[in-house]
Amino acid sequence: MDDKARVGERKTAPKSLPATDEALRLPAVTKKAMFPLETITAKPREQTPSVGQRATRHDGRLHGLGQTKYIDDMSFPGMIHAKIKRAGVAHARIKSIDVSEAERMPGVMATLVGKEIPVNRFGPTYQDQPLLADDIVRHAGDGVAAVAAVTEQQALDALEKIRVEYQPLAPIFDPLEAMHEDAPKVHMGHSNIYSSKTVNKGDVEKGFADSDYTFEGTFSTQMVEQASLEPHAAIAEWDPNERVTLHSSLGRITLGRADLARVLVMPINRIRIVATVVGGNFGGKNEITHEPILALLAKKTGRPVKGVYSREDEFISSTTRHPFIMKYKTGMSKEGKIMARTVRLICDGGAYCSWSDTTLSKACILSAGPYNIDNLRVEACAVYTNKTMTGAMRGFGAPQVCFAYESHMDDMAKELGIDPLEIRLINAFREGSLSPTGQVLESVVIKDSLLMATERFGWKEWKK
Amino acid sequence: MVDITITVNGEKRITSVPPETTLLKLLREKLNLTGAKLGCDAGDCGACTVLVDGVAVNACLMLAGQANQREVLTIEGLADSQKFHPLQKAFEELGSLQCGFCGPGIILSAKYLIDAHPNPSVEDIRKALSGNLCRCTGYTKIIEGVAAACRKIAGATDKAA
Amino acid sequence: MKPFDFFQPQSTDAAIAELVAYGPNVKILAGGTDAVVDLKHTPDSLGLVVDISRLDDLKGISLTDAGLRIGAGVTHTDIVTNLLIAEHAPALVDAARTIGAVQTRNLGTLGGNLVTCMPAMDSGPTLIALEAEVTIVGCSGKRTIPLGEFFIGYRKTVLAKDELLLEIVIPKLNLGKPASFIKFGLRKGQALALVNAASALWVENGRFKDARISLGAVAPVVIRAPKAEAVLEGQAISKERIDEAAKAAVTEANPIDDFRASRKYRSNLIEVGVRRTLTAAIDVASN
Repeated sequence: MDDKARVGERKTAPKSLPATDEALRLPAVTKKAMFPLETITAKPREQTPSVGQRATRHDGRLHGLGQTKYIDDMSFPGMIHAKIKRAGVAHARIKSIDVSEAERMPGVMATLVGKEIPVNRFGPTYQDQPLLADDIVRHAGDGVAAVAAVTEQQALDALEKIRVEYQPLAPIFDPLEAMHEDAPKVHMGHSNIYSSKTVNKGDVEKGFADSDYTFEGTFSTQMVEQASLEPHAAIAEWDPNERVTLHSSLGRITLGRADLARVLVMPINRIRIVATVVGGNFGGKNEITHEPILALLAKKTGRPVKGVYSREDEFISSTTRHPFIMKYKTGMSKEGKIMARTVRLICDGGAYCSWSDTTLSKACILSAGPYNIDNLRVEACAVYTNKTMTGAMRGFGAPQVCFAYESHMDDMAKELGIDPLEIRLINAFREGSLSPTGQVLESVVIKDSLLMATERFGWKEWKK
Repeated sequence: MVDITITVNGEKRITSVPPETTLLKLLREKLNLTGAKLGCDAGDCGACTVLVDGVAVNACLMLAGQANQREVLTIEGLADSQKFHPLQKAFEELGSLQCGFCGPGIILSAKYLIDAHPNPSVEDIRKALSGNLCRCTGYTKIIEGVAAACRKIAGATDKAA
Repeated sequence: MKPFDFFQPQSTDAAIAELVAYGPNVKILAGGTDAVVDLKHTPDSLGLVVDISRLDDLKGISLTDAGLRIGAGVTHTDIVTNLLIAEHAPALVDAARTIGAVQTRNLGTLGGNLVTCMPAMDSGPTLIALEAEVTIVGCSGKRTIPLGEFFIGYRKTVLAKDELLLEIVIPKLNLGKPASFIKFGLRKGQALALVNAASALWVENGRFKDARISLGAVAPVVIRAPKAEAVLEGQAISKERIDEAAKAAVTEANPIDDFRASRKYRSNLIEVGVRRTLTAAIDVASN
C-alpha cells in the first residue's frame, strides 16, 4: 500500500440515501403488525390547554396487544435462574447450613448463604432485615439460602437438597402479648416495641371532664397481601467494569441503589437499576427484596441471573399491610361536638421494621380523623411479631384508622340519636382548622364535599 | 421429549419439549409469545388464559402434549396486520387496563364470551370474567370496554348485512 | 414440575394395558385442573403420566336403557350446555355452574371431580341424591357400583391401580326427579365450598316420597343424611317437617373448624342448605 495515498478519498460522489422504508425491498418475512401511536404536536407558540383534554394512557395500546414486556418476559444470553429457600419455621436459630449436596446437583452453578453477603442488613428506617437469614430466622418466609441453576426446576430441586439445622425458639404471634416484658424477643435483647409515636394537643383530662358523654370502642384490621398480579422479579448482570445492572420490578430506584450500595459495599455509581413496566405494586415493591442476592449470584457465576417470586413467596415472603388494634375513647357534648379524644394504636409490625415507622407516623397523625378536636392524645407503637414483615401498602396506615374513626363516629351518632351526616358536619375541619399536629389547613372543602356527595347518592331517601 | 405440532395464531409450529412442559411454558419460552402471563401457576388467576380450539383455558394447567394437533390463539394473534380487534381498541380508548398484566387473559376470556354471545348483559360479562383476576382496576372499565366492543362489533355486523 | 414420561393412549384398552405394565408410579391426567396442580407440588420424582383427555369411550352424554349416561371425560362446560341434562337432571347443571370458573370448567371433567374425591367436590351431592351409579373399567373388565360406594375416604376411591372411571349413570327411575343443589362459598367464583347440599324427592298426594338428601364438605366424603330422609318419608309436606329434617341433617355431619368458617357457622349452613334445597325441590315438583 502507498503510504502517501489518502485513505479516506472518495472516488465518486455518494448517491442520496432514501428517506423512508420505501426503498426497502420486499420483506423476507411476513410484515409484523405495526401500530404506531399517533402523537399530536402543537403548532409552534400555540398554547394548548391540558385540563379537560381527553387523554388515553400511553401504554394502553401495548397492553391490549400483549406486547408490554415485564421482567419475566425478558431474557438475556446465557441467563440462569435463581430460587430462594424459605425457612418454614416462624422463629429459630440456624445451627448450620449445608449446601454441598445442592452444589453438586445437575445444572447448579452457584449457591449463596447469608454469611457471604458483605453487609447482610437493610431497611428504610432501621436496618434490621437480612437479605438471607444468617443466625436467626424470624418468620416462616425468611430466606435462608439461594441457588442459581440453568433451569428453574434444577434450582428448585437443589433447594430441596440444602440441609438447614434449626434450633426452634419460642415464637410470638400476637402483638398485644408481644408487648409484655417477658414475651419471647423477636430481635435479641431488644424490646419487641420498636417504634413509638405520640401526638399531644390541648388538655385531654379537662376535655373529658367537660364532656357530657364518653364513648369507647376497639377496632382491629387484618393483614393484607398486595397480591399484585406480577410477582417480584429481577435480573442482575455485571459488566467487565464491575458495574451491576438490575432490571427490577422495584418501585424506588434511588432507594434501591442506596440499599444495594450499602449491602454490597460498593460505590453507588456502579449500580444501575432499570425499573421496567411493573404488573402492579401497591407498595409491595417499594424496597429491595432479592436484588442483592441475584447480584451476588450473578457475580459468582458470571451470568445474568433472573429471580421471580412464586405466588407462595408473594404471600409469605413479601411485605404486607399492617394489622392494627385501635382503641378509641371520645368525649362528646350532648350536641354531638367532640370535646376530647384519646387513641391507642398497636401496630403489628411483623418480623422486620420495613416501612412500619413511616406507617405508624401517618396512622398517628390521621387517627383523629378530619375533625376539630382541641384535646387529643394519640399513643402509637409498632411491635415485632414472628410473622411476615409488614410494610407499605396503599394508604400507609390511613385505611386502618379511617375504618376505626368512622365506625366510632357512627356508633356514637347512634348512641346520641344524632344523624350520622349531621354529627360529621358539626365536627369536620373548616378553613383554617388546626390538624392534630398543629398545621393550619387551607382549601378545606369537607363540608361541601359531604353535602354534595350525600345529595348525589340519595342520603335523605336512604335513611328513611 | 414430546413432539408437538401446534397451530399458534394461524401459524403451524413444530417443536419438541420435555413432557412436563406446560402449554404456558411452551408459548412463553419456546415460541417467545410472552403475552400469556404466569400469575399463580395454579389456574386461579387466569393471567395465562389462551384459546385452544376456540375454548378459553388456563395454559398453566395444560401439558404441552395435550395441545398437540390443536389450534391455539394467544393475545399476539388477536390483532391482524390491518387492525386491532374491537376489544383491544375499546380497552385502549376507555383506559380499561392499568398495569396491563391481567390484560391478555381478560381480553381472550372476553373474546370467548363474545364469540358465543355477541349481545351479553353486564351480568353475563361478569360471569364470563369470573376466572380472571385484576388487582388494579376494580373491573369497572374492563366491563365497560367489553360492552363497548360488543356494540362496535354489532354496529359493524349491521353495516355488513 | 419434575420430569416424567408421557403417554397418550389411543383407546381405553391401551390406557389400561399401560397402567398394568408400568407399575405403581402412574398419574392419570384428563383436564388437569387438579392433576397438574398436584404434579407441580409433588416432592417425589414422578414416573408416568397417562393422558386420557382424548379417549372417545369417556366422552358423550346420552340416554340409554339404564338411564342418563355421562362419560367420565365430559367437561363441566359440556354439562352446563347439555340439553339432555337440562331436561332430565337440571340440578346437575346448577352444580356444574358453581365449579371453579370459566376456564377451569372448560378443562375439568366430571370424572376428574369424582376421582380426586375432595370432600368439597361440587358434583358429588347431586349425583348421590339422584342415586347415580358409576362404571369402572380395568384389566378384569367392567363393574358398576353405586356412587356412594365409590368414595371411601379423603381423596380415596375404590379405583385399583389398573382401573379407570368410565361413565356415570343417573338411573332411569330418577330422571326428571325434582331436585335442587346449593353451594355455600365465600365468593361466587373460584370458591371452595363451605357446605354443599342437594335434595331430590317425589311428591305423591301431598306427601314426601323417596326423599334423598346429600351433603358435601361436611365429612371426609360426600354423605347421605338418612336420619333427615327418614323424618320426611311418607309425611305430609309442611314447613315444620322441612325444618325438622334440616335440623336432623346437622346431626349427621361433622364439619371442620378452619379459617374459612367455624364449625358452628357450617352447621348453620347445613340447616339452611337442606331447608332451601328441600323447598326448591318441592317447588319443582309442583310445576
